[in-house]
Amino acid sequence: MVGSSKRQFLLNIQSYGFLILVSLYCIFPFIWMLSTSLKTEAEAFRMPPTWIPIKPTIHAYLYMLTKKNFGIYFLNSTIISLATAVLSTFFGALAGYGFSRFIFRGRKFLIGFFLATQMLPGVLLVGPYFKILSKFGLYDTRTGLIIAFLTICLPFSTWMMKGFIDRVPEALDQAALVDGCSRVGVFFRVILPISAPGMVATIIFAFLLAWGDLLWVLCLTSTESMITVTLGIARTVGEFRIIWPMLMSGALMGGMPAIILYLLLQRLLVQGLTAGAVKE
Amino acid sequence: MKIIPLATMKFFRIKDQHMWTLFVLPGTLLLVLVLGFPAIQSILYSIYPEGGGPSYTLNNYSVLFRDSVFRQVFGNTVLFVTLSVASHVLLGLGVALVLNMEIFAKPLFRLIALLPWVVPDVVVGIIWRWMYDPVYGAFNDLLLRIGLIPAHVQWLSSPKLALLSVIFVNLWRGFPFVMLILLAGLQSIPRVLYEAAAIDGASRWQLFVRITLPGLKKMLVVALALDIVWEVRRFGLIQTMTQGGPGNITEVLSTYIYKQYFQFFRFEYASAVAVVMTAALLMVSLPYIWMISQEE
Repeated sequence: MVGSSKRQFLLNIQSYGFLILVSLYCIFPFIWMLSTSLKTEAEAFRMPPTWIPIKPTIHAYLYMLTKKNFGIYFLNSTIISLATAVLSTFFGALAGYGFSRFIFRGRKFLIGFFLATQMLPGVLLVGPYFKILSKFGLYDTRTGLIIAFLTICLPFSTWMMKGFIDRVPEALDQAALVDGCSRVGVFFRVILPISAPGMVATIIFAFLLAWGDLLWVLCLTSTESMITVTLGIARTVGEFRIIWPMLMSGALMGGMPAIILYLLLQRLLVQGLTAGAVKE
Repeated sequence: MKIIPLATMKFFRIKDQHMWTLFVLPGTLLLVLVLGFPAIQSILYSIYPEGGGPSYTLNNYSVLFRDSVFRQVFGNTVLFVTLSVASHVLLGLGVALVLNMEIFAKPLFRLIALLPWVVPDVVVGIIWRWMYDPVYGAFNDLLLRIGLIPAHVQWLSSPKLALLSVIFVNLWRGFPFVMLILLAGLQSIPRVLYEAAAIDGASRWQLFVRITLPGLKKMLVVALALDIVWEVRRFGLIQTMTQGGPGNITEVLSTYIYKQYFQFFRFEYASAVAVVMTAALLMVSLPYIWMISQEE
């Protein structure tokens, strides 16, 4: 018995050692980002680099917010992502209810279609989108981007909402139907209120999907007043002289909403992203 | 307040069994409109001659398969995806196995390990570009201090290292998700199986091979399928770190197609590459799509 507990002890040491190493690997780049964002430009270009800022300053943050239109990028990202998320979750909830409650011919095919669309790469669509949106005067507009982001968010929202609606007992539908409620009434007055937490979660996920995108924004917008946080950051990297403290503060601000929201939704993450393949 | 139920109005009297159309069709039509239609458009572009239709040709495809740059980019993508996914599964499985044990501060470790996965690609790309900075970056400084490298290394501009450096970042970025799925899988394996096998005198290795791996099979398939699709599509990370350079060393299909479209304006050629990419992606993910849609 003594031998086995000693082995257990060694195993624990190994496990913690491994976890601590992995944690350092995960977190070190973030600390470097935070540290750089609090430096002056001169200190960022010191050799060898300082790991902790000598004289911490929030100058870089103020600069990004006041001189770099970062506020506008933030506003654009928020408007576009939120509109996409609400739209896709509404249509996703409708479709999710249909897939969850009805057996009909072609159901498997349609489910397969929704899944397959989730696999399509954005680069297949950006070309036609560029041409079509230009034709309708929607190039470089928020509306154009919202339409484009539906391609990413709608299949996802449908899956996620179907998962949540599957958990609502069908007996509730039946009871409401017997009481004279219509199907549409069942959906709006029974299903939606019950799965409201799920809807909120779906909206947040869809929001983050849109928030993190670069490809579409890069292809479908161009002017400073229309671009989003991700493109704003990407453009700053492309500038002739990169001022790293500014860029790092921008990255930190752009990443913060994602970090906070994802961590809030941790528990639903697996189920949401595996499209119903994994049920917790 | 009295609301007239839609389905009881004479116009809309639909049998309940047909009501699915009302729910499923709006989303489906919207999807066909915003996604199906442009996808077909893209296929059409790919068979137009360069400079535009309306005649049809397969020339773009024959150009593409003879193009040595395309072949290199395709090879890069395969290497990028293979190494990324393999490393995600190895590290993800390792961390999941440890996190599945009785561990102090488990939620904290889980949270930290999730961080690299939650930030946008762009943010990951620029953090690491700065980490990798040969002179002022933390990566070289750290390795120099530990004594792992004798001098500053050009991680992103050396032709030999650039692709591997990018893949190393992608390991960091992508393993948390695989870890999360596998952890969910591990937690669904009943403990009694392990206890029973342990009483029968099974070794740790036997437990792993006979109980853990079979129990994880489905989760592994899901993780592999999704991860492959995501890594093939990965764009923002490479675009912000190297833009495909130096030369075409880190160019993958998504950045290559973007360049062909928006820097060289070769719409027809770019579409052909995108169609080939999509076909490859669908081929890889079809078994997965089949599996899920049969289960639902």
